[in-house]
Amino acid sequence: MIKTVDLHKSFIIEGQAEPLHVLKGVSEHIKKGEVVSIIGPSGGGKSTFLRCLNMLEIPEKGHIYFEGVDITAEDVDINLHRQKMGMVFQHFNVFPHLSVAENITLAPVLTKKRTQAEADELAKELLQRVGLYDKWSEHPGRLSGGQKQRLAIVRALAMEPDVMLFDEPTSALDPEMVGEVLDVIKGLVKSGMTSVIVTHEMGFCREVSDRVLFMDGGIIAEEGTPEEVFNHPQNPRTAEFLSKVLY
Amino acid sequence: MEFFSNVAKIMAKYWKVFLVKGVGYTLILTTITVFFGAILGVFICLARMSKSKVLNAISLNLTEIIRGTPMLLQLYVFYFGLPRLFPSIPTFVSVLIGFTINSACYVSEVFRSGIQAVDKGQTEAARSLGLNGRQTMMKIVLPQAIKNILPALGNEFITITKDTSLASTFFVGEVMTSYLIVKGNTFLTMECLFIVAVIYYVMTVILNRLVGRMERRLRTSD
Repeated sequence: MIKTVDLHKSFIIEGQAEPLHVLKGVSEHIKKGEVVSIIGPSGGGKSTFLRCLNMLEIPEKGHIYFEGVDITAEDVDINLHRQKMGMVFQHFNVFPHLSVAENITLAPVLTKKRTQAEADELAKELLQRVGLYDKWSEHPGRLSGGQKQRLAIVRALAMEPDVMLFDEPTSALDPEMVGEVLDVIKGLVKSGMTSVIVTHEMGFCREVSDRVLFMDGGIIAEEGTPEEVFNHPQNPRTAEFLSKVLY
Repeated sequence: MEFFSNVAKIMAKYWKVFLVKGVGYTLILTTITVFFGAILGVFICLARMSKSKVLNAISLNLTEIIRGTPMLLQLYVFYFGLPRLFPSIPTFVSVLIGFTINSACYVSEVFRSGIQAVDKGQTEAARSLGLNGRQTMMKIVLPQAIKNILPALGNEFITITKDTSLASTFFVGEVMTSYLIVKGNTFLTMECLFIVAVIYYVMTVILNRLVGRMERRLRTSD
């Protein structure tokens, strides 16, 4: 479904002569229906890698193949491909000037995927599924963090994506709201949605993932099933990282 | 007390000069300046934010020159310069064009900072849904930027109202020109200045209230 070949990405940091080399050749293959979690220390390249997958960050070297198409190619209409990749952000990024319903229906209608009536119907169904239907005409300013993130997930799902990318979806939440968001993601994952999840929630990661990638220093330092990575880490850095996080 | 009785006498005789002609011209000058300044400002702002290096350089330099030189000097340049190109141009129009270009440069910065103040995550979220750059700008960024821009635009209106007094240098008829006319007839300098000060003060207070009301309304619509 998504295949990356030798991705490199650097950031130019103001006041520093050397650009920061964040991705140092990442090659990975995410298969259809697979749930892949990415863990690792901050600055290890997890989020950058995820954001490269839908070209929010443009890698300076390497290729990304999404459903067989090289989306790093110059002549590709990236918008068409992004419509099939949902993304959920750490800071929700719901649209504050639109109602809950408009947040969800805006993209399907604008991209001519659906008529307003069809989009409304789908929005209703999705909101009922995550328990937010009573917020239909509210503005996001009145929602809690957990509700905002559930809305953000629904907004992405309304485009009926083939894959969902989660960028630390619970990191900005108050602890008591983490559960409700993880439950929605769990439900989604169980329904067979291909997902790539950058997370610090180790328990959750263990429970839902088919495969875990440990990223450190701009490369995938280790990968395997949750059982392999959590119980028998081969790389000393993985072991060290896991010993430091509580789960 | 003599001062205020003089003020009353001046107003009784010259109220039309101050309140009809003076205020009228000031409001016309201000309104047209802000209106066309805003339109021109949009284009300068677009040029400033475009990827074209040439457009970038033009708008950047224009903005810096206008912001880096006194407005009175710019008005002189337009007052003397435009009739060389268009000999029949009225003074009022030359001065108006000067004001408009000056205002456009300030307003373009207002637009730019209003747009840039919208969280980058909003653009990322919209693009991640597959919206193109134009849709993202029109549906997500601009509607949010308007809330930053409108109050600042209201303040620009107030600033221009006061700045139009510079046009009295060219005797175009706004409030400060009416001061020059009435003072010339009565020789009561302080009294005339007092009247003009009150007129400007009342105009800006009213505008301030309107801007404040607009700001509150924009905030509640969140």
